[in-house]
Amino acid sequence: MSIMEYNGSAVVAMVGKNCVAIAADKRLGQRALTVDMNFQKVFPITDRTAEERIIEPKTFSNLVSHMLYERRFGPYFVEPVIAGLDKDNKPFVGTASDNLFGMCESLWEPDLEPEELFETISQALLNAVDRDAMSGWGAVVHVITKDGVITRDLKGRMD
Amino acid sequence: MEAQFAIAGKDFVVSVTDKNVVHSIVKMKHTQDKTWQLLPMTLMSVCGEPGDTDSYAEYIQGNAKLYSVRNARDLSVGETANFIRGELARALRSRNPFQVNLLVAGYDKEKKEAALYWIDYLAAMAKVPYGAHGYCSYFLYSVMDREYTEDITLEQALDIVKKCIAVIKTRFMIDLPDFTIKIIDQNGTREIEQSDL
Amino acid sequence: MARRYDSRTTIFSPEGRLYQVEYAMEAISHAGTVIGVLSKDGIVLAAERQATSKLLEQEIGSEKIYEMNDNVVAGVAGLTADANILINQSRLIAQRYLMTYDSPIPVEQLVRQLCDLKQGYTQFGGLRPFGVSFLCAGWDQKFGFQLYQSDPAGNYSSWKAACIGENFTNAQSILKQEYKDDDAAEGVDGAATQMSLDDALQLACKVLSKTIDTAKLTSEKLEFATLTLKDGRPSISIYSSAEIDALLEKNEAVIKPADN
Repeated sequence: MSIMEYNGSAVVAMVGKNCVAIAADKRLGQRALTVDMNFQKVFPITDRTAEERIIEPKTFSNLVSHMLYERRFGPYFVEPVIAGLDKDNKPFVGTASDNLFGMCESLWEPDLEPEELFETISQALLNAVDRDAMSGWGAVVHVITKDGVITRDLKGRMD
Repeated sequence: MEAQFAIAGKDFVVSVTDKNVVHSIVKMKHTQDKTWQLLPMTLMSVCGEPGDTDSYAEYIQGNAKLYSVRNARDLSVGETANFIRGELARALRSRNPFQVNLLVAGYDKEKKEAALYWIDYLAAMAKVPYGAHGYCSYFLYSVMDREYTEDITLEQALDIVKKCIAVIKTRFMIDLPDFTIKIIDQNGTREIEQSDL
Repeated sequence: MARRYDSRTTIFSPEGRLYQVEYAMEAISHAGTVIGVLSKDGIVLAAERQATSKLLEQEIGSEKIYEMNDNVVAGVAGLTADANILINQSRLIAQRYLMTYDSPIPVEQLVRQLCDLKQGYTQFGGLRPFGVSFLCAGWDQKFGFQLYQSDPAGNYSSWKAACIGENFTNAQSILKQEYKDDDAAEGVDGAATQMSLDDALQLACKVLSKTIDTAKLTSEKLEFATLTLKDGRPSISIYSSAEIDALLEKNEAVIKPADN
């Protein structure tokens, strides 16, 4: 088992029409043992309402990419996912964990509205974590639109 | 092979740690207190590589007290836990990492709530209602999952502690004769004996 | 022979003075005025920009008032180039604290660390001191709203209303007369005053109108910022020129009497 799966997690982000969604499960474990069932894995980087100069998602991704590459030969054992809206409200999404790709492939379609996107990402994440013993215990979804962030908690199979 | 766990309620935390000091197959001592009073309102229990445990705990205790003297203010539990995690993460990426597992328990006077932080030797940290480290955690989590309720009282928590110790005594291979049981609340820390449970 | 004790910052004169540090303070007393006023529901910072020219590109950001952290905003008087270094350092100090303890830095700690840096340049070899004074307005959980003043020597002190820069003695005596202090009723967050934020803004306008040597106060020459609490969390607002004009208009009555 890879060190990347030591704590276990599932994080996913998707693009919709003028919106993006990012979601993560809530489990923290040590291999098969669950330690915390309400662990925060999504962190705000900037506030949409902040004025003047805030870092753009694309710029921030570049920065994170460089920070990871600096430790190329003694790496941080993380796989970050970045989601945000840029200046023209054009959505931007980074990479996603591999075991979610199957679900996303079949559920996602272009130009989803915020509510549709919420449903899609929720289904994708919940169905993916149900087939993974290392993640789960519910999830939290954030949908970022130009008017603000919608945050909702999901209950999955709580086991 | 050590046992270390804690249960947090709204305004208290109960911290339980075994008292064994083991070298190879020999039990060197069975009266060791493995908890450290970092600040009047903050208690840390430490398990792991002997030597690392003491030196890391002493380092943290020193720094927590230094902060109090310099700034005429004690760090809160959350701030202390974050500092401990940060220092552990820094050491982990250096030539001499510490192999220690920690539980940081305390009462936050400003937020008027008790808090418990679970930190492992890889510097993963989580704020938890109850937590455990080591082999014993495989038994103890089942007991605590079943018995814990969100609005738990101190009496109920002590009852869970009693059940946890019973499980350790019946199912765990290693003999752990005695435990340090400490309660942290707005009045500070007090210790109770296993026989008083 | 006077120059014997001037040329290096680290040397005391026979009278026990550090001339370079005193010269730095002298330089500040010619810089644009900065005023800070504490009120029961927030702090006001107001500053004067000097030497504007119509050829000069109007800066987008502010040049006298800077955000140091989510809970601290500062006005500077002195050499802008020196101030930039210190502002940068203070932001670094604040972020470093946030990373270590996952909580915002207490205001006095930020001010003290910044002043330690300033002090270093009055003692260690061959460098000149920072020619900057700060007025730091901040809020933290333990002490609530606080206003600090610092000087190039590395001293700092806490005030209810303070002024640095040109005409500061004048401004300070007006503040002393006009500031409504109420020792009997200990105000919210430990600030012993009955003044509201609007009163503080009005007082700042009044003082500026008397200390700045100009026919009419305009947004081009002024900067304003407030630090208040919103939903229990500190909120900094640095005024736009439109907001400053509106504020000046609102307080026209206290500005008008041009008796200076």
